[in-house]
Amino acid sequence: MMLARVADSLYWIGRYVERAEHMCRLSDVMLNATLDRSEAASQVARIALAAVGDPDVAKAKNPYDAARALALDRGDDGSIYSSIALARENARQVRDQLTTETWERLNLIYLRMSDPEARRSFEDGSQLFLHDTIADLHLFKGAGDATMSHGEGWSFLLLGVYLERAQLIGSLLEVVFGEGRKRKPISDHFALTSVLRMGCALEPYLRAHTADMQPRLILKFLMLDEDFPRSIRFCTQEIESHLSAIIRHAGMAGSVGPDRLAGRLRARMQYADMDEVEAQGPSAFLKTVLDECATIHRSLYDAFVAYPLEDRLPA
Amino acid sequence: MSVRRDEPALNVAAPAAPYNEMLTPEGQVRPHYAALDARLSTLSFEELAERQRTQERFFLLQGITFTVYGADSSTERIIPSDILPRIIPAAEWARIEAGLTQRLRALNMFLADIYSEQQILMDGVVPRELVLNAPSYRREMQNLYVPHKSYANVCGSDLIRQPNGEFAVLEDNLRVPSGVSYMLANREASRRVFPGTFRGAGVRSVDRYPDLLLTTLKGMAADWRPNPQVVVLTPGVYNSAYYEHAYLARLMGVPLVEGRDLVVHDNMVYMRTTTGLRRIDVIYRRVDDDFIDPLTFRRDSALGAAGLFNAYRAGNVVICNAPGTGVADDKAVYAYVPEMIKYYLGEDAILPNIETFLCREPAQLSHVLANLDKLVVKAVGASGGYGMLVGPHSTKAQQAEFADALKADPANYIAQPTIQLSTAPCLIDHAVEPRHVDLRPFILCGEKIVVTPGALTRVALRKGSLVVNSSQGGGSKDTWVLSETKGDKA
Repeated sequence: MMLARVADSLYWIGRYVERAEHMCRLSDVMLNATLDRSEAASQVARIALAAVGDPDVAKAKNPYDAARALALDRGDDGSIYSSIALARENARQVRDQLTTETWERLNLIYLRMSDPEARRSFEDGSQLFLHDTIADLHLFKGAGDATMSHGEGWSFLLLGVYLERAQLIGSLLEVVFGEGRKRKPISDHFALTSVLRMGCALEPYLRAHTADMQPRLILKFLMLDEDFPRSIRFCTQEIESHLSAIIRHAGMAGSVGPDRLAGRLRARMQYADMDEVEAQGPSAFLKTVLDECATIHRSLYDAFVAYPLEDRLPA
Repeated sequence: MSVRRDEPALNVAAPAAPYNEMLTPEGQVRPHYAALDARLSTLSFEELAERQRTQERFFLLQGITFTVYGADSSTERIIPSDILPRIIPAAEWARIEAGLTQRLRALNMFLADIYSEQQILMDGVVPRELVLNAPSYRREMQNLYVPHKSYANVCGSDLIRQPNGEFAVLEDNLRVPSGVSYMLANREASRRVFPGTFRGAGVRSVDRYPDLLLTTLKGMAADWRPNPQVVVLTPGVYNSAYYEHAYLARLMGVPLVEGRDLVVHDNMVYMRTTTGLRRIDVIYRRVDDDFIDPLTFRRDSALGAAGLFNAYRAGNVVICNAPGTGVADDKAVYAYVPEMIKYYLGEDAILPNIETFLCREPAQLSHVLANLDKLVVKAVGASGGYGMLVGPHSTKAQQAEFADALKADPANYIAQPTIQLSTAPCLIDHAVEPRHVDLRPFILCGEKIVVTPGALTRVALRKGSLVVNSSQGGGSKDTWVLSETKGDKA
């Protein structure tokens, strides 16, 4: 049993920290790639900017400024700063639900991002800054994992993490492999490596497929791998299991809703056939996945947060 | 006390020197401060400053902050916390404890009386119109059943130590007193800063406060609700005491709710949970009377729950503190507390009041007007150090302004002599200097009264200042109540 508002906040903490981490990683990969002045490098910059949802391709000409704005722009709701600030604001609103160890981690990241000196430390070493932020976000999740009860609240937080992750990876794959965009297919080894880095997938991919960089294998790995924690399939497994944990806690087993949707999406990923996906085009498949994630989000709200009161009043 | 020379109005008889918590008038270290003094002499100012920084970092990291809202951005600040503890020997504390217990008993009897028979008003001990015209008097509470007749369950009294060394009560806070989280956080910090001295001193523990608070709140629930659901009701994250609300909820292990989480149906109060509605038995509310129920009190309030008061009236939920307790800590009613103690308990007050002039009495008003430069004038309804004139620190213009206000609405003001609050050593800019302090202990009252052996010591960090409120440049420090009697000879 927990307050609906609290569940809502925990869920959003999960979403925002995941978003912040992903944005940090995209910026980091972009900055790292553009140290070289090659065609592949600017291709990577364009992918990164498109994946964070910035339609302004001109910014790819100056990746450093773009990365700094993405990290620290307080006026931009999509910046890393804003995601961290919103995660922390949600945490403050449910401060009583987080352990001190978990709260301290998140508060520390926020204090560093909001420090007047933040801009200078970004300029002193932008990649170190991003790297440290990612590491601290891992510490936050680790502290939560190690100190918080793995009950309903924890499941809501992780639901936020995995739904957000599935959608972010899905958007990234759409940018890279979607056929909707008039861009020549990516074949450059360096660019493909960078795409894997954006999904934090390089090392696990190498272990699975060696250094043989094939777009099809990369797409398959990030979409359908069973064990890699950033593949969409893995995310849908986690979404399903955390939802069923929540429903078990709530004693609401049997009433269909988000769990049915999550189960269907998990099955879709589990039994997907790569040849079929390619035949119909990755875009169509990814669109279905992203739409179903959005539907799960809405049905979570209908079931647990913004349910109509009339249904729940005592007789 | 420094006197500013640019103000000729300050030409008054020098007040008695303030009581120094650490040193005797002869400059000897009082026995209960000896261990701390010895420890301090082994530390350089640089080492002390380092400890002060560590402590500030601890507060920042914990998020023990309040928000200052600016034009386009808001910043969070910590409330300054001084690392040097204020120490109170056992015998002095025993007297404080007895005095506070006696006082809260009488105040709760007073509340039970004025919200039922009003015997004390009929006997003319407290003027009828003073009570019934006070804005904090809630007619809605008349003849309403309150468990154990405990109206004020959580009380935070402000005590000051007078120049003669005697503690006196400056104010009773019976509405939604705050600061207890600072007592606990300061304690957590000072254990880290002076672990050795702390261990050797025999400091009494304050750690049980959350658990005692929960017991007090549960004790207020109806007998037929064996496992009562307790919640803390907060106005929300933008309230300056939000940290405290979350802290208490976390340490008690009960939900922290906001008005928007509550639903009243059939005179029962529920909270919206992920699994539907769950009934609430006891609400420790940190929202003012005015805002708890828009149907009964302020209509424009979104902080409470519509219908909450009716559920309370029906006995289906308990609100702690009860609405209407503010009438007993009204600054004018305050003047009558010693008479109340005599009236209800047949005892003399153990802790004295500060002499108070009620401007509603014409003779006292003219005395106040003639001595504006020496007195502290307070608006009856105001708190937090606002609406206040500190005579010796005021300008002629401010005095004239208050004189007009006093004449226009005398009943709204009281005046008290300017009390030299006692001083305690504080770390100020790398040096140990005396600063004025007060003392806010916390008293719980459910089935019985419990005084926590500790307190929030508030500090006026500006040199010479007597205003300890955090909104006005005040800070705080830990308060060590000693369990042994070795320090009591002084």
